[in-house]
Amino acid sequence: MGLWLSRLVGLFGEKEARILVLGLDNAGKTTILYRLQVGEVVSTIPTIGFNVETVTYKNIKFQVWDLGGQTSIRPYWRCYYPNTQAIIYVVDSSDTERISVSAGEFHAILDEDELKDALILVYANKQDLPGALDDASVAEGLGLPKIKSRDWAIFKTSAIKGEGLFEGLDWLSSMLKTRRR
Amino acid sequence: MFSLLYGFWEYIFRKEELRVLMLGLDKAGKTNLLERLKTLYTDTPGLESDKVLPTVGLNVGRLDVNKAELLLWDLGGQPGLRSIWDKYYADSHGVIFVVDCTTPARLDEAKHALDGALGSRELFGAPLLVMANKQDVEGHVPASEITQSLGLGIIDGRPCRVQPISAHNGNGIREAMRWLVDEIGASDRKLMLRNRAGAQ
Repeated sequence: MGLWLSRLVGLFGEKEARILVLGLDNAGKTTILYRLQVGEVVSTIPTIGFNVETVTYKNIKFQVWDLGGQTSIRPYWRCYYPNTQAIIYVVDSSDTERISVSAGEFHAILDEDELKDALILVYANKQDLPGALDDASVAEGLGLPKIKSRDWAIFKTSAIKGEGLFEGLDWLSSMLKTRRR
Repeated sequence: MFSLLYGFWEYIFRKEELRVLMLGLDKAGKTNLLERLKTLYTDTPGLESDKVLPTVGLNVGRLDVNKAELLLWDLGGQPGLRSIWDKYYADSHGVIFVVDCTTPARLDEAKHALDGALGSRELFGAPLLVMANKQDVEGHVPASEITQSLGLGIIDGRPCRVQPISAHNGNGIREAMRWLVDEIGASDRKLMLRNRAGAQ
């Protein structure tokens, strides 16, 4: 009975998903989080620890965790891996020098057993800056094509201008809906 | 001892996963075809066509077709992202190229994209299945014209077939997939990929 009720609620109510926003320091993770949540650009300081907010979009309640990206605190990311449905991996597309560092962190995340079923969404962020790499170049720089057995998607975004972020969430919500049937 | 025997058993009887790359221009219907394949060959129905978004990356599908395990790679077809296609060539057993038969104006572009893929040494000998899609739509170009426009009459030694299909209603898909699995099974490329995997 309880199961039926909860299914019924699932049909009409909101679904929930736990999302981690990861990426190197200064990639724009916190700006993205608040752009998604309040629709505005807020001034941010480097995150030590995490920010967590709930974003409701297309009938899905995304619980979005923005984890600090500095080298010294990246080891703590793994504490947040269990029960994660999706990773939003944010890249500063204008930081061409550190894309290989970003790729290293990214592939370490992909290898995590606890994240093996998580969806992979990449934001090629800071497209508003001159010299920003396009989506195909970021995909190559990150080594996305090395992924052969799970779904991935990449979107060109500008958190400052608010571009591309919700297109990415559209993808996430459509994927999450198919998986739960 | 047991693990040795078991490993040997596994080696002999394990099914080899056949990797099939799905290519084609944007809006050709690759993801719709993938979703239709999921509906036809698995217990979980695929997405309806109105729910499918343009692919900006990779969609993966796993199916059993005629006792073969297939891993399908559906890659986005927008011009900017076509540069990623070649990263998947070396590991592919076969290729499905999807063509939208309702947009004859884009056949040149499709030919160009297909030639680019087939010209790669890394796809040498991979069987090619061209899915002439959207046969359910009025005014579509016949499959024979697709063969001609894509220049498939003069293709280099590889097995090749043009199949009229409709990803919308599923017509023509099963026989085409059977052909592809048989051709991959008989291809030298399968042996080549197996040897390469063994050598690593």
